[in-house]
Amino acid sequence: MQQAGGGSETEVTWEDQQNINKFGRLNNRYHELEDEIRIAKEANENFEDASNELILTDEEVVRFQIGEVFAHVPKDEVEMRIEQMTETTTKHLEKLKDEKDAVVAQMADLKKVLYAKFKDSINLEED
Amino acid sequence: MATSASPQQPGGAVVAERRGIPAASFVEDVQIYLNQLGLDVNSTLAFLQERLQQYKVVEMKLLAQQRDLQAKIPDIEKCLDVVATLQAKKGTGEALLTDFEASEGIYSRARVEDIDSVCLWLGANVMLEYSCEEATSLLRKNLENAKASLEVLIADLQFLRDQVTITQVTIARVYNWDVHQRRVRQALASQDS
Repeated sequence: MQQAGGGSETEVTWEDQQNINKFGRLNNRYHELEDEIRIAKEANENFEDASNELILTDEEVVRFQIGEVFAHVPKDEVEMRIEQMTETTTKHLEKLKDEKDAVVAQMADLKKVLYAKFKDSINLEED
Repeated sequence: MATSASPQQPGGAVVAERRGIPAASFVEDVQIYLNQLGLDVNSTLAFLQERLQQYKVVEMKLLAQQRDLQAKIPDIEKCLDVVATLQAKKGTGEALLTDFEASEGIYSRARVEDIDSVCLWLGANVMLEYSCEEATSLLRKNLENAKASLEVLIADLQFLRDQVTITQVTIARVYNWDVHQRRVRQALASQDS
């Protein structure tokens, strides 16, 4: 996002400045959320792969990573743990997606307000 | 040396600086601002650009701190997980078998029996032995502190980014004002001739 000027005479009020600041903050938050959502999705995919591997294996005891070590954990417990982790991550993912939608909506509103006042003197698009 | 006045704002919290980061003054009127500074346009632009660079330096520092904290938090959570697992095993009376990395690429098996205490790495080559409960509460406290520090840091970064935006807008406005002045002067000059 840049604010470009072309020698225009539109005055910038403190309220305008605050709107621009808010847009900047929202834009940053949007990119952070995109990254976090991508990471959460990858985590869920990994859990699903692990789950599938678990079904295929015929061992009763699985080496499950806890912290930095691999503990010998019975298969049932591993299944339960993976389910729990998937559920936590999915809930987290939902929350992130909701926040992202809210941020996008707020950014659209601010764009309307700022473009209405500044028209071509301001650029709020991704470069 | 020019000083910047604190941003005035009708009915709202005004912050002159936050944890060592000076606030960028919001310019109501470019002409008045230039008179206040007592500098010509180019010097003003140079001053504002320098301010921007200083903000960027601080931003890099804060971002590095944020990355460190964001790495530390999952670490503490993993430790809590391990201690919780050990405590759970204590109840059953079985030993816990784990495979751990003895050296890079070389793993070994450990049999952990009778789990009463854990040792926590405190940093600076110091490791202390704690009971499971004490370890859990210490780790939880560290986690809370880390999360609180992260929140403060994020607020600092937001404040900083706002000041950067204000400074960028001020630079654009001073530049535009200058362009406008030149046009006006040229128009007057061509009128006279």
